[in-house]
Amino acid sequence: MHWLMRTLLTEIQQIDEHVQGTAAPGEALLFEAKLLLDAELPLKVQWHKQTLGLVQQYGRKNLISIIGDVHNQLFTLPQHQSFRQKIMGLFR
Amino acid sequence: MPVNNTHAETEKLIMRLYKSAFPLVARYVAKLGGSFDDARDVFQDALVIYYEKAAAGKLELQKTESAYLLGIAKHLWFKKFKDGRYDISLDEFEGFDLPDEAEPQPAAEKLLHYLETAGQKCMDILSAFYYDKLPMKQIAGLFGYSGERSVTVQKYKCLEKVRETIKQNALAYEDFID
Repeated sequence: MHWLMRTLLTEIQQIDEHVQGTAAPGEALLFEAKLLLDAELPLKVQWHKQTLGLVQQYGRKNLISIIGDVHNQLFTLPQHQSFRQKIMGLFR
Repeated sequence: MPVNNTHAETEKLIMRLYKSAFPLVARYVAKLGGSFDDARDVFQDALVIYYEKAAAGKLELQKTESAYLLGIAKHLWFKKFKDGRYDISLDEFEGFDLPDEAEPQPAAEKLLHYLETAGQKCMDILSAFYYDKLPMKQIAGLFGYSGERSVTVQKYKCLEKVRETIKQNALAYEDFID
């Protein structure tokens, strides 16, 4: 791996550990200092948080789509008829 | 509940939870005068909360899956009555903490759509890490990486890629409002 790529990945790893709160105490302190010295670093932290927010939305959207599929299967497919009747019977 | 990220596995899990717990939730909602659609909405939101709690390792182990889901659904149903509306945000669920960043941001939908098409593989990998919170080894297996090290490197590359997209988007947005 090219050294520049390696440096970049190390920085992202440090940002990620900072955001997740998983950095070792010494590392955490060092990162706090870097935040004060490097003007662009707080922005990078902000973008990283937005990245994780989008990943969260993406994951949840996929889960909701699977839940919708399962619901449709249960309430349309013939093999789930008795389940369906049991549920619909509750709402008469 | 073991969270297991292949689409088929998740579907199997949801099917099992639906069969075991939806009758309980439906009976509860029906008894209190709710409709089938009410029961469905409350149950589906409860499933999302349950899944995310399980992924984060925050389930109380002494409860059964069905009891847990019923508990969450009752809580959501109660909120519906108290607030007089149903459009409850999952994020507000008591004891269920999501980072603020999960709140939809301006242009987030557009960005998400872009990432879903242009960077689906990366989004899938990142989602396995951060949403499903699967162990590294399992993610490596799921996505065909030789080991934990190579999948970790890929994770950071993906984070970089998505962040770069966000950055470009933010810069474009600044240009736009100037």
